[in-house]
Amino acid sequence: MVPHSAIILFLIPVVAVFLLGVDSAFAQQSTHNYIIHRIEIWALFYRLMVVAFVIGAVVMGSIAYVVWRFRESHPKNRGDITPARAGGAQH
Amino acid sequence: MVLEVKQPRPMWEILFSTHHTDIGLLYVYLSVTALIIGGALAMAIRVELFVPGPGTLIPDSNTFHRIFTVHGTNMLFLWLIPFASGIGNYLIPIMVRYKDMAWPKLNAVAFWMIPVGAALVWLGFADTTWNAYPPYSIIRAPGPAAEMWIFGLKILGISSVLGAINFVVTILKMKHPDLPLMKTSLFVWSTLVTSIMIIVAIPTFAAALIMLYTDRLGVSGFFNPAMGGDPIAYQHLFWFTFHPEVYIFLIPAVGMLYEIIPKFSRKPIFSYQSGVAAFVLLALVGFASWAHHMYSTGMSFTEKTVFMVGTLAAVPASAMHVFNWIATMWGGRIKFAAPMSWGVGGIVLFFYAGAGGIVNTAMPLDFLTHDSYWVVGHFHLFVAGMVTMAFIGFIHYMFPFITGRMYNERAAMVSFWLFFAGLSIVFLTQHILGLYGQPRRVYDYVPVQPLIIMNQIASVGGWMAGVGAAVFIYNMITSAFKGKPAKMNDPFAIGEQYYDYARREPHH
Repeated sequence: MVPHSAIILFLIPVVAVFLLGVDSAFAQQSTHNYIIHRIEIWALFYRLMVVAFVIGAVVMGSIAYVVWRFRESHPKNRGDITPARAGGAQH
Repeated sequence: MVLEVKQPRPMWEILFSTHHTDIGLLYVYLSVTALIIGGALAMAIRVELFVPGPGTLIPDSNTFHRIFTVHGTNMLFLWLIPFASGIGNYLIPIMVRYKDMAWPKLNAVAFWMIPVGAALVWLGFADTTWNAYPPYSIIRAPGPAAEMWIFGLKILGISSVLGAINFVVTILKMKHPDLPLMKTSLFVWSTLVTSIMIIVAIPTFAAALIMLYTDRLGVSGFFNPAMGGDPIAYQHLFWFTFHPEVYIFLIPAVGMLYEIIPKFSRKPIFSYQSGVAAFVLLALVGFASWAHHMYSTGMSFTEKTVFMVGTLAAVPASAMHVFNWIATMWGGRIKFAAPMSWGVGGIVLFFYAGAGGIVNTAMPLDFLTHDSYWVVGHFHLFVAGMVTMAFIGFIHYMFPFITGRMYNERAAMVSFWLFFAGLSIVFLTQHILGLYGQPRRVYDYVPVQPLIIMNQIASVGGWMAGVGAAVFIYNMITSAFKGKPAKMNDPFAIGEQYYDYARREPHH
């Protein structure tokens, strides 16, 4: 039985990537001449970069928050108690 | 000279040993040596490109080509793969609870093939680039350098396959009967998946190397247009091996991070099953995406679409690992000792690399970035950023096990920040350089202000990373001899049982 956490971890990036991927796959078909082709590709590049930076900001922000909040030296984290110590199996 | 601390033994005893930790030690020494000399070549390249015009440090373009060819070959085949094998040698028998690798003598043979291959690559100093694309590599590349490169790669490939077979058999057949595969460490899974990929991928390139060699001898014309051959066929054979090879570099690093992150977060892995699933997915899609390196070779729209979608399928699998690490750290009590810092730095650069990779994957956008410095930046963020940082983090983690001593933590953090900041500067700048149109593998560039400034920023970043690497090496060497003795039960004081130190004692 696959746990829900694994399914969720899989579905989030699948949906995100294929929303982007389908769009860019057909970018070439809509071009009629070289100039428009170049413009469309750069437009696609900037759109993709905007999406990448938004997702990047969320993921990097999450990493920065986790590193700051759950570090050993954080005031709320100085005791010996490890919050999630009780649950789950150690592999 | 002795290499062991707790129970000193002469060097020759380790050199001729077949014990898995001795072989692991030899792999680690050899690969770190390759990292040092490959890094020195990278520093030379950045000196040459600091200002436009020839002759800043490297006298001519041919020497420049030789230098980056050997830099690439050395880093990929003498640093990344042997290091992963070394750590696998140390840990796989311990993790599957067996006394040694399945075939200890074969294990030693696989290791000792590497110095031979390395000597051929280094003494030849070929100029073919690490791709060795024909027709240049068969018509113009000077011999015997190219022949030595071909034979060097051949020997290194055989060594990898022998090592991989040994890992697969050790994991699947020698594993303790009471230990189900789904209860083994994710590092075991990473080694198993990597080994299977090596066994499947390498023979294709082995065949291509023979064809390349006979083409150079003039007895065949597989890739020679003048004899009716097709150079593009070589690219298909090459990338069928070497796109999976990217994951062969990556997956052991991911497995090492699965060792480090839960332990230093003092939490179990968030989702063990998703880690296994992501390894298997990465292995599968690694073989479904090779031609994305070849969009500009005149493939049809349909073919390109298939390979684009195949490549994008790797993103969810990679993202699953990243989300798994973040979720593991969330709610933990993280000790940012050197292994964890290097590991988290690697994750950050992994994400940068993945974001840039999506641009390469999208075929219309690939035409903007193809063969430009964007690709150099992207690829190096993976192999120097993610993989090398994870590997160096793991060297710190293994340091007490290897030497019985502790490294200097302050020096380790200094080297981490220098390396991390330097890599970010050099390789993110190279992405922009690519968008400005600077081709990769050039000895000189157009002397316009944006290119000069960005090349200088990249060089400074590269040197920063070089200084960081030098501090790391200095720390490892001095600490191996003068470091404080480690508390072997829990050397990092994280409340986790460390690896069984007694396993280092040879029993045969």
